[in-house]
Amino acid sequence: MPDVSFPPIHYVTVVPHLIVTGLAVVLLLMDAVSRRSRAARVGQIASLVSVIGYGAALVSLLFTYDHRQVTGGGSIRYDYMAIFFLIVMLSTALLTVLVSANFVQLQSMSLLEYLVILSFSVLGMMVVAIAGDLIMVFIGIELTSIAVYVLTGFSRQSRISHEGALKYFLLGSFATGILIYGMAWTFGIAGTINLDAIRTAGASIATGNPSLLLALLLLVVGLGFKIAAVPFHMWTPDAYHGAPTPVTAFMSVGPKAAGFAAMLRVLVNGWTPAADQWVPLVIVLSVITMTFGNIVAVAQNNVKRMLAYSSIAHTGYMLVGLASYQVGASKMDFNGRAIGALLFYTFAYAFTNIGAFSILTWMQARGRGTNIESFRGLATTAPGAAIAMTIFMASLMGVPPLLGFFAKYYIIVAAINANLTWLAVIVALNSAVSAYFYLRVVAVMYFREPDRQIVPQRTSWLGLGLAVSSLGTVLFGVFSGPVFDLARKVLL
Amino acid sequence: MHPGLEWYLSLSAVLFVIGLIGVLTRRNVLVIFMCVEMMLNAVNISFIAFGRAISSATGQVFALFVITVAAAEAAVGLAIVIALARRQDTVDVGRIDTLRE
Repeated sequence: MPDVSFPPIHYVTVVPHLIVTGLAVVLLLMDAVSRRSRAARVGQIASLVSVIGYGAALVSLLFTYDHRQVTGGGSIRYDYMAIFFLIVMLSTALLTVLVSANFVQLQSMSLLEYLVILSFSVLGMMVVAIAGDLIMVFIGIELTSIAVYVLTGFSRQSRISHEGALKYFLLGSFATGILIYGMAWTFGIAGTINLDAIRTAGASIATGNPSLLLALLLLVVGLGFKIAAVPFHMWTPDAYHGAPTPVTAFMSVGPKAAGFAAMLRVLVNGWTPAADQWVPLVIVLSVITMTFGNIVAVAQNNVKRMLAYSSIAHTGYMLVGLASYQVGASKMDFNGRAIGALLFYTFAYAFTNIGAFSILTWMQARGRGTNIESFRGLATTAPGAAIAMTIFMASLMGVPPLLGFFAKYYIIVAAINANLTWLAVIVALNSAVSAYFYLRVVAVMYFREPDRQIVPQRTSWLGLGLAVSSLGTVLFGVFSGPVFDLARKVLL
Repeated sequence: MHPGLEWYLSLSAVLFVIGLIGVLTRRNVLVIFMCVEMMLNAVNISFIAFGRAISSATGQVFALFVITVAAAEAAVGLAIVIALARRQDTVDVGRIDTLRE
């Protein structure tokens, strides 16, 4: 009988997770004790509790910042990468609550249940952020995915909501199978699931070992589904289109960030010694992902679907950061900048993309559709919303001095430094193509006559969410230096 | 004589590929879902075989986690299928096609 002992955990490293777990439990209890007849009011209180909970978790990072360490027998890595991803994920959660609160109630869905499931999904993302071994990565990814399947099908009246959920679920669980098969082979080759130990063991494995290639291929394909990289993107347009719009805002940012966190943990922290074998895979993925996403987005007339394809394209840009990774201990600073560019991109994307979807939510709350025609003359009927939408479109396109510009700038610099100038050129060309469909929305808003007035509607949460995301897009763009300085410490 | 590690890995690989082909070719949602479950269980065989070969309990622990997650996934997945079947009275993915460009 082997001696079983539990490795000590420094609980200070999981304070944000404990706060969000507490939040989930509180929300569940609220659901259990509150009366149906008061659902509307309880929902408002629950939104406030969620905002406070995520806010507290975000603030707690300030106090646990100095306690970076590997703990829990190696299964928890609380490092700069974890901290940066936690910032992105908790900001995403906060913005999502603000964007959802009014809309979910207007569509007569249960806001309280929605917030409970959302908090579990956020918790799953946060587990991936601190993952130090493959079980943590797996559990985190699954917790966030399963919760998002439910959120996608959350609208009971809507047939396309269920259909989107079904497609997301089938391909998501298929991807899980592929991902864990890669993990099984990783375990078989390295003899361990701990990321640091995989790194050590990987150094003595010969290049071109077929089992290693199989493991890397399965891992990249499995995670490629989760981040919606082409050719593993088939579920993305349907799931994004079918889901209630605030959920689309969340799932285009949150689970994608979790997928990238998992990718960085497994490939960069774990399989670093095999970087010369997975980097070519990532380069190919990034090129086809951004090109396909942008070209198909050009043909879309529905803005929600256009943003779904644009989300695929942005996955491609982010992958360029990972593709710029180079082998060698002397490349520490360089790699920090490359991976830091990816991290900064997820941060920029969180504010900008949730902002863009919150405009769609704002329109739908006022009885408009998501078709491009719905945006006709928005500049005269609702000038504030039109300005905000212009900011988000410009940021997605990469116009200085907005967040999206600096995100692309750091990505392009990383690619050029890695001697991948041709890849940098492809990023620039793709951005030029994307200008067409982003500017088209702006043009329709400003240069077309409105066909009808906006139905007035009080949506104070949503208004706050819009204000925060548009201010964030502008201010973090102008003052992007400190954010990037934090992001490029990622490998320390 | 006990069969060696490669026997178990081959069995696992064969089951995994059958599941994979099933997911890609079948039209019935429930059959697709069963194929996914088969893939997950094929992976469990690999985990346990590898764990046994390098005498580590980690493989079995991982398999237990996979089983647990598969159960959670089944609960959510079947709920989605039921919600959709009530509305459309079909479990054929070919006929669930409202969302197209």
